[in-house]
Amino acid sequence: MFGWTVKELFSAPQQLFASVSAVAGAFALVLFFDGVFAGESEQIVALIDRTDADVWVMQDGVGNMHMTTSFLADWKIDAVAGVEGVKKVTPILYLNAVIEAGGRNWFSFVVGLEPGDSRAGPWAMAAGAPLPGRGEAIVPDVFASDAGLAIGDPVRIAGRDFAVAGFSADTFSMANSITFVTLDDLADTISSVGTVSYLLVDAEPGVDAAALAARIMDEVEKVNALTREEFSARDYSIAVQMGLDIIWMMTLIGGALAVLLTGFIVYSHVTERERELAVMKALGVRDRAIYASLMVQALVIGLLAFALAVAVVSLAVPTTHALVPKISLAVTADSLWRTGVTAVLVSLVAAVVPVRRVLSVDPVSAFHQ
Amino acid sequence: MLRLALKNGLFRPGRTFLTILAVAAILAEILMLEGFLSGTYTQLRQAVIHRGGDLIVGQSGISSFIAARSVLPQRTRAEVEAIPGVAAAHPLTALSLIYEAQGRLSPIIVMVYDDAGGPSSIIAGRAPEGEGEIAIDRSLAERYGLGPGDVMRLAAYDFTVSGVTEGAAALFTPFAFITYDGLIDFFFASDVGADIAAFPLLSFLLVDVAPGADPAQVAAAIDAGVPTADALLPARLAANDENLGREMFGPILNLLLGLSYGIGALAIGLFSFASVRSRRKTLGVLRALGFTTRHLMTGVIAEALGMALLAIPLGIVMAGGLATLIETLSPVYLVQTNDPVGLWRTAIVTVFLAVLGALAPLGTLRRLDPAMAFRG
Repeated sequence: MFGWTVKELFSAPQQLFASVSAVAGAFALVLFFDGVFAGESEQIVALIDRTDADVWVMQDGVGNMHMTTSFLADWKIDAVAGVEGVKKVTPILYLNAVIEAGGRNWFSFVVGLEPGDSRAGPWAMAAGAPLPGRGEAIVPDVFASDAGLAIGDPVRIAGRDFAVAGFSADTFSMANSITFVTLDDLADTISSVGTVSYLLVDAEPGVDAAALAARIMDEVEKVNALTREEFSARDYSIAVQMGLDIIWMMTLIGGALAVLLTGFIVYSHVTERERELAVMKALGVRDRAIYASLMVQALVIGLLAFALAVAVVSLAVPTTHALVPKISLAVTADSLWRTGVTAVLVSLVAAVVPVRRVLSVDPVSAFHQ
Repeated sequence: MLRLALKNGLFRPGRTFLTILAVAAILAEILMLEGFLSGTYTQLRQAVIHRGGDLIVGQSGISSFIAARSVLPQRTRAEVEAIPGVAAAHPLTALSLIYEAQGRLSPIIVMVYDDAGGPSSIIAGRAPEGEGEIAIDRSLAERYGLGPGDVMRLAAYDFTVSGVTEGAAALFTPFAFITYDGLIDFFFASDVGADIAAFPLLSFLLVDVAPGADPAQVAAAIDAGVPTADALLPARLAANDENLGREMFGPILNLLLGLSYGIGALAIGLFSFASVRSRRKTLGVLRALGFTTRHLMTGVIAEALGMALLAIPLGIVMAGGLATLIETLSPVYLVQTNDPVGLWRTAIVTVFLAVLGALAPLGTLRRLDPAMAFRG
């Protein structure tokens, strides 16, 4: 029976290839959709992870960087700096804004930096100055390329004109781009003089970050302090949860599509080989064995399709990054597991499709002309 | 050939049904993607339009309602109301906050309003009336099991849910509504109070123009008379946010749609190929009777087209059902699968894919040996 299964599966290699490709397409679509949210989720924490401060301090009642607002009176910078175990405090001002340049509009988070302090600044540069001066901005290289910007060109951020001083790398994504200006410029723009949004705290060597965060909350009035890991995990969680439901639904739709395609293929195999099945039944092969064979066929198609989808998406991630840098894609282990399990379930369900057809095959028909 | 195509379709009704179902599923999936994006754009537009007002005044240079923070000085209201043609200016403040409960974090946009700009559709309870009351979007209410009368702890302050609204969400983020009385209580009773001086208290002004005044002219007068503010027609502001959404999501939509169409072409090619393979003997007889490859190909294309034409309405119905399911289970999403332009475009592409896919078995048809018709 196993030999027949393999023979039947590979009897029409072109058809098998088309089948596997079509089902792989359905899985790839799920992985792509998931990859977009994963890519954005990774980018959402880029600033937190890449600046790698030990502790982040923010307004009490706030525990995230994105989709929220934090304001701290600037006297709290000195208050936090005075806490035992704190080596350095770097304030930033932070807001979401629309950047306009070269006829293009783009959503961006804008970080206001202390003049000359690179601690919270861009971590990789594509060109130009590494830090903004007064009236200057460092914009993501992808946006600059899209808008045809050169160093010195004007950009409009939150309604105010800035000159581009540099292009940062690794700071662009669909919904989480980062632009850097000076803290004073940003404060002027939002009429928020005397306040900052977050404090990046570097601990003295040997000081435990969690203990330091607790100490800062004890000693400084109405602030929240989180270790870098906690802060990053919370923002990542926000991004993931925003896309969670729709990703599950796309997985279901892609899975249903794969069930139909695989079911069609297995059903076609059965209808094309009714005479062979009749002969097998006449020779005493049980329905159960035939079902097992169909299930193996469906499983092989499903797993080959999954492997092809993974290969395609693995190639597509760097290719997309090179050709369409606006799109951030990332393939996570969780996404692979979920799609892999879906592939197995799809195969098992698809194998049920031709059951009636198998049952209806009459062994006597093997002896008809 | 058409009759032959019809007979072939009816000969294996199970397989024909599966084929139609699979093509319909691909079509539904494409419509869902388009509908998801279309719904996202609609939500961005509605977030502005549902606030009301003939004009919306924001910080000078801010041309987005939902994606950028607008901060207006407190005196702006009086300045705008002094402009000829302005009947009233209603304050509106937008606050981005995170609601944390049941181990989950949900970003929400809290709209603080006075006598305009509040919830446009209340499906349970009532609008907030003051102290500690909040109305929340259905998506948030269902996600956390909240209803009128329930306590909702937000930024360490206990609000009481006064009502549940519908269609108040954008960019996967639900809205909540409180009044300015509620905002003051919130500021002083919660932990935000210590830094209240730094908090933006006025984001936008919703302007009613005087009867007979031209909103565009009043907007120009506000721009000229109040340098710290810009006045925009709501439709223009809504279009700005929609365009921003298109800039953000357009590239990924094109990538996913391209992939979906590729799957569609492959699947229809597979169906045509399988159909021809299973009927090689019949087609061999036709070849022996003098039918050319072109005749046989016409039959295969007619069959694929017939299936596509049956799959299109089924796909539209499936997409509509799935959209309803998604909106019911997760109301923060709006999936609009009934956009006539999108429907026509997808239907035309499906017909094109059917023809393209039907060409897949061309090689097999060319190689058909008429002699096989006479083999046992």
